[in-house]
Amino acid sequence: MISVEIKNLSKVFESRFGRTKVQALNNVSLNVRSGTIYGLLGPNGAGKTTLIKILLGSVYPTSGSARILNEDIANYKIRAKIGYLPENHKFPPFLTGEGVLRLFAELKGVNGKDINNKIDELLDLVGMLKWKKVKVKKYSKGMMQRLGLAQALVNNPQLIFLDEPTDGIDPIGRKEIRDILINLKNEGKTVFLNSHLLSEVELVCDRIAMLDKGNLIREGTVEDLTTSKQIYSLKLEKELSPGLLNAEIFHTGDATYQIKVNDTAELNSIIDVIRAHGINIISLNPKKTSLEDSFISIIEDSNKLTQKK
Amino acid sequence: MKNILIFTKLTVKEALSRKIFMFFSGVSVFILVLFAIIFLSTDLEQMLPLLSMSKAGNVNLVYELVKAIKLFIVTPLFGIGLFLSVFSVASFIPNMLEKGSIELLLSNPVSRAQIIWGKFFGGVLVVFFNLAFLIFGLWALIGLKFAVWEPSLLYSILTITFTFAVLYGLIILVGIITQSSILAMMLTYLIFLIISPVLNARDKLALLINNDFVNKIIDVLYYIFPKTSELADITVTTATGGTITDFQPVVTSFLFMILTLYISIIIFSKKDF
Repeated sequence: MISVEIKNLSKVFESRFGRTKVQALNNVSLNVRSGTIYGLLGPNGAGKTTLIKILLGSVYPTSGSARILNEDIANYKIRAKIGYLPENHKFPPFLTGEGVLRLFAELKGVNGKDINNKIDELLDLVGMLKWKKVKVKKYSKGMMQRLGLAQALVNNPQLIFLDEPTDGIDPIGRKEIRDILINLKNEGKTVFLNSHLLSEVELVCDRIAMLDKGNLIREGTVEDLTTSKQIYSLKLEKELSPGLLNAEIFHTGDATYQIKVNDTAELNSIIDVIRAHGINIISLNPKKTSLEDSFISIIEDSNKLTQKK
Repeated sequence: MKNILIFTKLTVKEALSRKIFMFFSGVSVFILVLFAIIFLSTDLEQMLPLLSMSKAGNVNLVYELVKAIKLFIVTPLFGIGLFLSVFSVASFIPNMLEKGSIELLLSNPVSRAQIIWGKFFGGVLVVFFNLAFLIFGLWALIGLKFAVWEPSLLYSILTITFTFAVLYGLIILVGIITQSSILAMMLTYLIFLIISPVLNARDKLALLINNDFVNKIIDVLYYIFPKTSELADITVTTATGGTITDFQPVVTSFLFMILTLYISIIIFSKKDF
């Protein structure tokens, strides 16, 4: 089942008299399967927040369409089933933590009888129960973030959009939030995560989309994006004789090599040569890169492509 | 309807958290205490030396005195009350439209029109309660002192609240377009304190200008802009026991309010945040 379905979504921001136009999104299409954690990555100004804002109704698309939970995004009533934590959110400063959750629970249409229990349960979940009666203007950035997460979950949503949820939170708090996200996924909920912390995205996301200058440049599983199909790590039983292979090969350790190939045919011919010389292959693995390295490399490639055009 | 109520409640809470409303309430309490002390320390017999002359005459004199007191209350209250009210609500819309706040509100199952109506009713309700507290208190003190329980003073709660609602419509519109509370305040004060009184004197202006085209424009402007000046006269008239003879200022001001709210909703509904 698909929770978010985006088709050729574009957004052009225009200045007041149309003198300046900025293409924030350009024909973006993607689907988010239910019960998964979906990461949205991209450098600043890539269009990530614009995409989320379009899905949640604070920005209107210039063209294209989107559906969430099988309803067109124009139907604002569907937002009763959605949770959202925007980046740098501001709650009414005159409300207490409890008051904020009550307000958003009421707006989301949560049954009055369930609100009190839900508020305590969520404040406990994010470690804010003892701050329940304190006005939010006294909260630190990290506390606001924790309250924001509780607010996003107040209606027991099926789909949750989180924009930089761990911003300003210490490492222990970040781990707690990661655990919450994984629990949500285990409960069958869909999480749409926008984060700059790539190591975190790598740890929790099932699929990732990369945006750059409003374009969707890559989409796939974390495995897809961090596994190189051109560089392999080869562990042999013994050292190779120099000049045996006519390929880009680097000695990286005791009978261990890194091979760079253009395609799988080239890889197979290398294996054939090694085997023909009676050398046993202990392991052959595609080289794994961190998501951060992949991200930088993909963005750089995208920039080069744009410059060529 | 439920969503409008939630936003109304939120706006009332926001207003109550403001120091200006606390000041407003503090001033109201001070005025009530002041009047109570004055009424307690003055003797009606001394105030009305002619009281013993005839019963009928006494009643008229008491009424005249009560009328003068009402006039003394309502005339400054209209100006100062509205001035403070406009000042205290001008930031409601710009605050709501701040980045990080509006996205949160719009991510809920509420229509944008419901948000505007909620903000509008919330602001009007707070001003109504503030005025009601002060005016009802003064009315009760006058009633206790002079045994005159005629309700005309209470009508000014409605007329001043109505005038505020008309100006608040403009504040909402300017707030949505410019996201600036200062600009919203300036424009509202301009209409309230300058444009409306000037346009109210359009007959005198016509004599001075002596140009049909310009006079026609002034006439059109007169019907477009809210008539706070005439609403002030209506407030004083009704508060002192008179009746409204011309409803045109009320009707056109009401239409102005509906129009500003309608345009506000249209613009707010189309805007990206």
